[in-house]
Amino acid sequence: MAGSSPPRRQSYYLAAGSPQRNVLEEILGDDRNSEARHRYLLETAKREHDRVREEAERVYREQLQREERQRLLDARRKEEERIKLEEALAADRARLNELKAKKIAIPAPLPDPEPPVIVAPAVNGNVPAVPPPTNNVPAQTNGTTSQKPTTIPAVPKLPSAPVPAQIQTQTPATAPHKAPEPSKTVNSVLGINGLLNNTPQPNGAASNPETSRSAAQPPTQTRPDKYAEIHKNLKMLRKFMADQAKSNPTLKGRMGDMRREIRKSVGQLTVTLGVAGVNKTQQQNILRLLREALSNQVQSELMDPSSFVLEPRNPVEGAAHNDATLPSIFLYLINIFAKAAIAQFINEAGARPETADPVGVCVAATLSDPDFLWRGSSLIDIMLAKFRIVCPVLFGYRGSEKTEQGRQRLGWWKDGGQWVPEQQHMDRMTGLGAGFASISLRNFAMSKKTNPFPPRVYWTAMARIVNTPSAEISDTQCVVLKAMVENYEQKFIEFYGTAAIAALRTALVDFPSRAPQKSAAVNSLEVLAQMLKRDTGLVLG
Amino acid sequence: MADLASRITKPSDAPVDAVPPAPTATAGEGNGTEEPVDDGVNKGLVETTYDVEVKLSGLQADDESLLYSGVASFEELGLPKSINDGLLAMNFKKPSKIQEKALPLMLSDPPRNMIAQSQSGTGKTAAFVLTVLSRVDLTKPTQPQALLLAPSRELARQIQSVIQTIGQFCENLNVEAAIPGSISRETGVRANVVVGTPGTVMDLIRRRQFDVSQLKIMVIDEADNMLDQQGMGDQCVRVKGMLPKEIQTLLFSATFPEKVMIFARKYATNAHEIKLRHTDLTVKGISQMYMDCPDESKKYDILCKLYGLMTIGSSVIFVRTRESASEIQRRMEADGHKVSALHGAHEGQNRDALLDDFRSGRSKVLITTNVLARGIDVSSVSMVINYDIPMKGFGDKEPDMETYLHRIGRTGRFGRVGVSISFVYDRKSYDALSKIADHYGLDLVQLAPDDWDATETKVQEVIKSSRARPDYVPNASDK
Repeated sequence: MAGSSPPRRQSYYLAAGSPQRNVLEEILGDDRNSEARHRYLLETAKREHDRVREEAERVYREQLQREERQRLLDARRKEEERIKLEEALAADRARLNELKAKKIAIPAPLPDPEPPVIVAPAVNGNVPAVPPPTNNVPAQTNGTTSQKPTTIPAVPKLPSAPVPAQIQTQTPATAPHKAPEPSKTVNSVLGINGLLNNTPQPNGAASNPETSRSAAQPPTQTRPDKYAEIHKNLKMLRKFMADQAKSNPTLKGRMGDMRREIRKSVGQLTVTLGVAGVNKTQQQNILRLLREALSNQVQSELMDPSSFVLEPRNPVEGAAHNDATLPSIFLYLINIFAKAAIAQFINEAGARPETADPVGVCVAATLSDPDFLWRGSSLIDIMLAKFRIVCPVLFGYRGSEKTEQGRQRLGWWKDGGQWVPEQQHMDRMTGLGAGFASISLRNFAMSKKTNPFPPRVYWTAMARIVNTPSAEISDTQCVVLKAMVENYEQKFIEFYGTAAIAALRTALVDFPSRAPQKSAAVNSLEVLAQMLKRDTGLVLG
Repeated sequence: MADLASRITKPSDAPVDAVPPAPTATAGEGNGTEEPVDDGVNKGLVETTYDVEVKLSGLQADDESLLYSGVASFEELGLPKSINDGLLAMNFKKPSKIQEKALPLMLSDPPRNMIAQSQSGTGKTAAFVLTVLSRVDLTKPTQPQALLLAPSRELARQIQSVIQTIGQFCENLNVEAAIPGSISRETGVRANVVVGTPGTVMDLIRRRQFDVSQLKIMVIDEADNMLDQQGMGDQCVRVKGMLPKEIQTLLFSATFPEKVMIFARKYATNAHEIKLRHTDLTVKGISQMYMDCPDESKKYDILCKLYGLMTIGSSVIFVRTRESASEIQRRMEADGHKVSALHGAHEGQNRDALLDDFRSGRSKVLITTNVLARGIDVSSVSMVINYDIPMKGFGDKEPDMETYLHRIGRTGRFGRVGVSISFVYDRKSYDALSKIADHYGLDLVQLAPDDWDATETKVQEVIKSSRARPDYVPNASDK
């Protein structure tokens, strides 16, 4: 009431002429309490009321129309986009299939010259734990026939042809789907199966990660290991920024603070236990910093983001950033953000895997933000490049913990020239496994944004581990696998249903049972199956 | 209790100062074979330099053999499968140094007493919990058979939860906490394992609500503190007097000052002793630094800045007064942190709730006065801040060495990377910290709050170097 009264009076005054005189008249007039006057006032009020109401209704109708128009426009744009993406995908697949057909012919004549190529990079592999750059080594390195891949039960076996295409779609650039597509992903897994051929070394200790890597690579890529390249480029970016800071005091003044703010905010994320909005402040802060970087107030140099993404990108209609460059400070901060998340996985989630989840939510939310897409797709490859270096088993790399080269391939870290202790290595793997799951099992069904890291990458990573030939199963893989599954079994099942249960059976029952040595890490997978049975009633065995 | 996850293997895995093997073989590769990691097992992951010193009571041939053989895996201990599965569920992979040595002695029959001293975060709790579980007859679910005493309700609850976690596959295992307000007055104790504080345990026994007639094992955690403190020492003695004479007694602590040791030997007669040398007591994996603050009022702002310098999981801030605890809480919350402030002003259940928030990760900063320095284990704590240097004695004149050690022991749990930063701002605090550093032979790294870029670089270097060499010895070859 208090709010509505004054305007009404004012409109009466306006209707009646000069306000001041009327006030006086009203106060002094004889008839101010008369019935006629009262009625007059009521009428005026009603007129005013009707007028306001009509006006409001008109505006409302207009707004509805505007919204409807906008909706139609949006829908049309979406449809167009979908069609465009589908076309692109179809074209890609066709091209890939073609290339694939071609490529199969290539390796056969080259089995002998290839092995030395594997060796060379490994020798200069001074970068700790970075597995040697990979080459497309043919599966039949030593002429031995490939092993029969294990298959995931209850899933029809499919030809391997669609695989590369599927993996191709794994990169956000060509990922057209928001929702997971269980059946399709299954295809890809089985396909990977088919490609995961391996030749055990004579001493039985070594594996051939290059083989699996080549399997994992879309045939279009003749590049050895694009993620490792991105990783290298990111290191150069850091140096580039440091150099810029020397001649750009504005940048120098702000860059360090922004970096520390991001690290702090990522560190402040806490487990939500289902409560919404717990990490809102931190998330907002991160977005604010990245937007600030994007606005490039500090006048950092512009850079071509192509060196930080897996596939070359072309401008996409409707994308916020279609230019060939982005401010380097922005790319740098995305890199810092990814780095902070990985560090949090290693340092915090290694000890307590459940702390990975809020970080995963934040990563998915941040990198999918429309403002931070480049040519319509996320920059998540920066994150993946880091995963590739610190946790190669997620990408199909294998190795023995008992050999120098094996450890290098497994991502066993070196500090000061020495391997870090086993406990620390396993902690890292636990944190990274949980971290990988925390980013890849996010549900974007209710979101307008595109999932930068859809569940199929989780499936693929799991498949690459569980399809390891028995003789080459390592503790590292078991630890990563356990961390990927624990606390995420429900989400996994929500996405993939019975296929997920079959996959879990493979991971927690079949996989450990065929491990050559019953180490504690192997046994802990079986114990996890027991725990699932006890706590959730999920029977896998 | 993912908290304790994999606490077990650290010490034995910690790299030694041994010279690293010829870096990543070159020749082997050319042949297509792969180089084994050094001696094929572990030389690359050098063993710790510190030794566990064992003193056996009475020279029994059996014990000798147990001792020198040690155990390399939990399986070798012959524990029931249910217990082993519990260890695996917690990601425990193999025994720590102290577990390796102490477990065979504690598990042997006939049961013998034990006094064990080991660094914080090296697996003491798991060692005595395993012993307790292996002694309990699970066919008697409500008959008390094991009693564990701890100095605070927090610690008692923590131990209770460790027992429940390791024993998660043991059917009919019942663990009750004998702390104020938790045992039903009507039924009394109805569990086979009881964890409590001495006062409450004594009351329960006196009221005949706790049948001690079949107790087989008693454990005292933080034994130096328990046996030293006036009130609790008396209570421990009285409790012991009410228990069966032949009970196996295990005393555990990170520190054992000499006078307490003398008393401990009387308390646990004829005990085996496991002990670390004095200078080995600081956990070397913890990077210890100090921040040179221009004056006391700047400490708040500097504190907030620390969180951008490195990756931090959870952190604990030790302060002297409740007032500064509240002020820090206010400032840090304004800076986006989720904080639990825990001090003597809070009572029982309230303290439980605050600490549970911290344990579960709902809050990641714990601000506390001294009440919590001991024993509390949250494995993701990666930074401890001595906002005030711990002092003791009349008028707080003396630096408190033991408390410093217990405080920094809250991080670097089980071989993980941990950082401790102590704030100094005047002559007194500087002198106190210097004495502590001298006492333990520490080399504290100085940090300055004026150029944060430089400080960040320095902190990163310190963390990196300590991670590379948890057992850093000045002359060891590095790089």
